[in-house]
Amino acid sequence: MNEQISGLGFADAHDCPVPYMDRLRSYYLALGYGNPYKWAHYADTPFTPLEKPLAEARIALVTTAAPYQPDQGDQGPGAPYNAGAKFYNVYSDRADGAPDLRISHLGYDRKYSTADDINSYFPLAQLKTLASEGRIKDVAPRFHGAPTNRSQAATIDKDCPDILDRIREDGADAAIIVAN
Amino acid sequence: MGCAKDIVEHCGVPRFLFSDFPLGNSAGRPHDPDSQRLTLELALRLLETAPGPRTTMQSPLHWPADPRWKLDFSNIDQLSDEEIARRRQDFDKVKAVAKQRREEAAAG
Repeated sequence: MNEQISGLGFADAHDCPVPYMDRLRSYYLALGYGNPYKWAHYADTPFTPLEKPLAEARIALVTTAAPYQPDQGDQGPGAPYNAGAKFYNVYSDRADGAPDLRISHLGYDRKYSTADDINSYFPLAQLKTLASEGRIKDVAPRFHGAPTNRSQAATIDKDCPDILDRIREDGADAAIIVAN
Repeated sequence: MGCAKDIVEHCGVPRFLFSDFPLGNSAGRPHDPDSQRLTLELALRLLETAPGPRTTMQSPLHWPADPRWKLDFSNIDQLSDEEIARRRQDFDKVKAVAKQRREEAAAG
């Protein structure tokens, strides 16, 4: 780095958010797959202000992580991408337990992410702590799993309404979606 | 909460707490409860205070060590022809598994 510039305290030029869309497009084209993936893209985005103080709000959690399935091969930390561990329908589970959720079915960074601490990708325990401290009123009784099945139509037409129904059934005021 | 800034912002969401970490750490750094607590707290603050849609906040936290991980992820410039061929074979395999699982799920 130019000495004059480094003296200004700038970060490395590549120390900026990874351009995943460009990166993945080049990657799959080089692997020989044409017809690059068309990412979801909206010109307008909905927005609803929170209608009550957080301390009075019930918060739901939505995750892309999958329940561990013993019959579906290696889902442990650093396991190769495991399509067998994917799920294709929304699932819900009780938030008062300690679920065993994994991310081996997702395209996470297998070189640098450890994937051995569920709290780094599924903040249920942390959310319960904040509830116990009164930061939120409580955690919705169930959390919900969002399928990552590469069918945008299925996600939008089937999975999203399904998840929204479940969140409403549980009386949640807001949801935090944690994508991985 | 997420780690893929361009993808989430391209889609458009009401509020986005962005952590500039390798994919798979949307809720904070592993084995770092303070980082996980701050990450969730920032997400809650966004819920409370975002003035409108597409509000992104970037967590002030950094991934430990140097930012080299940003150059490595799925970077075709860093792969040999042999490695590219191997990855293509692997990807064809997982696509076949995913297709089978999807069909099983559809069949109920």
